[in-house]
Amino acid sequence: MRNTSQLARLFGANTVEKISHARVLVVGAGGIGCELLKDLSMSGYRHIHAIDLDTIDLSNLNRQFLFQRKHIKKPKALVAISAITQFNPQINAQATQANIKDPQFTADWFGHFDMVFNALDNLEARRHVNAMCLATGVPLIESGTAGYLGQVTVICGGRTECFDCHPKPAEKKTYPVCTIRSTPTAPIHCVVWAKNYLFAQLFGQAEAEADEINDGDDAEELKVLREEAQALARLTEAMGTDDFARLVFEKAFCTDIERLLSMKDMWAQRRPPKPLDFSELELKSPCADKFDPTSLPDYEPLTIEQAFSLFAYSCQQLASRRAGEVLHFDKDDIDALYFVAATASLRSFAFGIDQRSIFAVKAMAGNIIPAIATTNAMIAGMMVLQSILVLSNRISECRTAYLTYGSKRTRTITKETLKPPSPLCPVCRRRYLTMRIADFGKTTLGDVIEFVQLLEGQRDLKLGREISIVEGSRILYDPDYDDNLTRTLESLGLVSGRMLTLASEDDVVVPVVLSICGSREDGTESIVIEGFERIPEFAPLPEKTPSDGNNETDDQAVIVVVDEPSIDLASREQDKRKLNTQDVDPTTGESRKRCAVDWGSSDKDITILD
Amino acid sequence: MSSATKEISRDEVALYDRQIRLWGMEAQKRLGQSKVKIHGIKAVTLELSKNLVLAGIKSLYLIDNTAINEEDLETQYYFNENDLGQPRDKVLADRLRVLNPLVNIEAGDVDDKCDAVVSVGSNKESVEVNKRCRDKGECFVAADSFGLFGYIFVDCLDTHEYVEEVRVEGDAGETRKESFVASYIELQESVRARPEISNLNRLVRKYPPLVFISQALSTGASCKDEGELTALVEKTLTGRGIPEGIVGEELMQRVASSLGTEFVPCAAVVGGTLAQEILKIITRKDMPINNWYVYDALQADGIVCKL
Repeated sequence: MRNTSQLARLFGANTVEKISHARVLVVGAGGIGCELLKDLSMSGYRHIHAIDLDTIDLSNLNRQFLFQRKHIKKPKALVAISAITQFNPQINAQATQANIKDPQFTADWFGHFDMVFNALDNLEARRHVNAMCLATGVPLIESGTAGYLGQVTVICGGRTECFDCHPKPAEKKTYPVCTIRSTPTAPIHCVVWAKNYLFAQLFGQAEAEADEINDGDDAEELKVLREEAQALARLTEAMGTDDFARLVFEKAFCTDIERLLSMKDMWAQRRPPKPLDFSELELKSPCADKFDPTSLPDYEPLTIEQAFSLFAYSCQQLASRRAGEVLHFDKDDIDALYFVAATASLRSFAFGIDQRSIFAVKAMAGNIIPAIATTNAMIAGMMVLQSILVLSNRISECRTAYLTYGSKRTRTITKETLKPPSPLCPVCRRRYLTMRIADFGKTTLGDVIEFVQLLEGQRDLKLGREISIVEGSRILYDPDYDDNLTRTLESLGLVSGRMLTLASEDDVVVPVVLSICGSREDGTESIVIEGFERIPEFAPLPEKTPSDGNNETDDQAVIVVVDEPSIDLASREQDKRKLNTQDVDPTTGESRKRCAVDWGSSDKDITILD
Repeated sequence: MSSATKEISRDEVALYDRQIRLWGMEAQKRLGQSKVKIHGIKAVTLELSKNLVLAGIKSLYLIDNTAINEEDLETQYYFNENDLGQPRDKVLADRLRVLNPLVNIEAGDVDDKCDAVVSVGSNKESVEVNKRCRDKGECFVAADSFGLFGYIFVDCLDTHEYVEEVRVEGDAGETRKESFVASYIELQESVRARPEISNLNRLVRKYPPLVFISQALSTGASCKDEGELTALVEKTLTGRGIPEGIVGEELMQRVASSLGTEFVPCAAVVGGTLAQEILKIITRKDMPINNWYVYDALQADGIVCKL
């Protein structure tokens, strides 16, 4: 039995009462989630629901303290909820192992919570929860951490900036294909080559490479590179034979490099690469069958002989597995990691690039974000305090707060007051309504349009006669495209949990977003649209100017680095902040003005695609 | 600075992977040989201990044999009704072991030289503990989290060598390691220190008023209400050339209403910061706070100053 007398002294009995009745959703039971769930269970919250798709891994245990070794492979949400129920048996906690983006989590489901906490590590899910909270009017406490840095903010739809009020930097780094395939200059270029080109061509799906190349200016070179890739793919026929490793080696580190060298112009301003010699390295290195990869140093760069042995060994291992399955690179698949580390190392030797250890290659290939207990603990603690301010209607006292790091800092936390929504935000500047459908197999898209137009007579939606309807990036209807009118919502995949955006063709009024839900238990109407009382008054949309568009895209051919978990926003926010420290008032810590946002990349080798 | 020699096992590397990628292998090796002692068990002690045990220090010593009472159950999530009457240090040490079986956790004092000794709460002996630490060459930290406030004081002795990554000019993101030395003073000296500034506005700009309240509380006199707190702060300020009114009435009231309470989310922020500073002390990577940190949860202020 946990008493709440100290809480009552700090926040008042009324607030403690509100906290004890609040139903809260915690999205993510990982680094921030574990700390947050602990804090909530000790702060008077009693109705707590945690959701997480993941299971527990050994590398989580250095910070996700609700988990122990015996819990490895078990669902995070379940173990976390069970742990906090032991902390405080009074709480009524629930756990769900699922993806928060699943359509089962409808607007109705989100709407029954009083508060949502985002404790997520990827932008996509954070965006989704942001939209669901806006659609249901539920306040959202948003967070993110990366290493020593972290941030907390409060989002109340219509009153404050939402998660999407400012553009976020792209999560996927991409590299010009010529840098990766022809002119690498940094260790990361060799790792991307080893993982996204060599590994994918040999052991993954052979067509993958073609998808990753866009035609650019240098069409001639791209054509040659494509032929080169096809020649490599043909080597897979030799897989399982004794010659396989030699053939791959000679292709990747001799033939292809010699071809590059023949292009004299390419090396006029660069150091030319040197082809490697298979026979010479084979003589100096132990045979593949006597080689023990665990004898290699994990944290020091490999010697060329070590890299050669590891290459031969991992080639053999992967070839025997490839016979039965298509392989996808996974940083925790030791054979795949060895292959990427070895071939990246060999390529670095060929191009005279600094070597990196297997440990470092793992981080680069797997895009591992460093994470520690202390940052997560601090961020979670700040989130709970913000949540109590929201519950006690003290939103004006809420802050966006950032953890900083560095010896010269005088503030470990910098903060900003919450800002009003951006007038151009494509997410929160929407009129969110709920649409209830009785029978998804009967109601057609045409029925919906007819219903909305009938509604114009009763509610002043101002959408006009000419509307367009989209779901995600999919256009379902516009005045020139009426193919879907007679199709049922079911056949269009428009089920509960999806959202339809209705925009006026002449772009003058704020679009309407309909969150699709099933009928209420007692509902008999085939279509119901409700939630008008939640809609704030919006001024007409400002006229679009040509400069609003994204100008970051580039026609350059790129390799898209796929399969990467997202980088948290925090570090970038912080980098931005560092450049603007002079804008922070030293006495209040408040930002004097919003930092100028430069979403362009400082590294010219990296192209950010939207 | 002696270099760490003991190697880390593959299993430990897998466990500590995400933090080694932040502070490096050398720092992790140092953590694996470090000892930390904490006097006083409160909510912030639990947060600090949890973070240190997770990070993988070698030994943690907890010292506070006060019997567990009903109030402790409001904030100590590892305690339950069955623990009432048992000594805090013994029960907490038992419970913390599951967090990381590689760490040696014990209740009670030891003579071993520690890397850091922490005094938690308004501890009358803080000044004495600090002096003993200086004699033994141990770093000393005083800290507390009460209600919606908290503070940390750090004394890393006269010379503390540390390494910091410095950005290389002109190159994107590249860093190199550089050695630095920082000098600290003991708690007694700090609470008597005369700031060089006498102008009130400039003083407030440099020193958050909360630091003067923290100084008053850190040396151990207990106080129950605003009147007692005001008197205590005034006494601490006497003879130091600090103008009256440096601590405003509103702040004094807010702090007074937090006295005698603990709030886990606030303790998590202070305990997180505190653990991070102790990790810096141990790893000699980056400069530990020199020498005061104060936290005001409602204002979202975490401010560092030297006094």
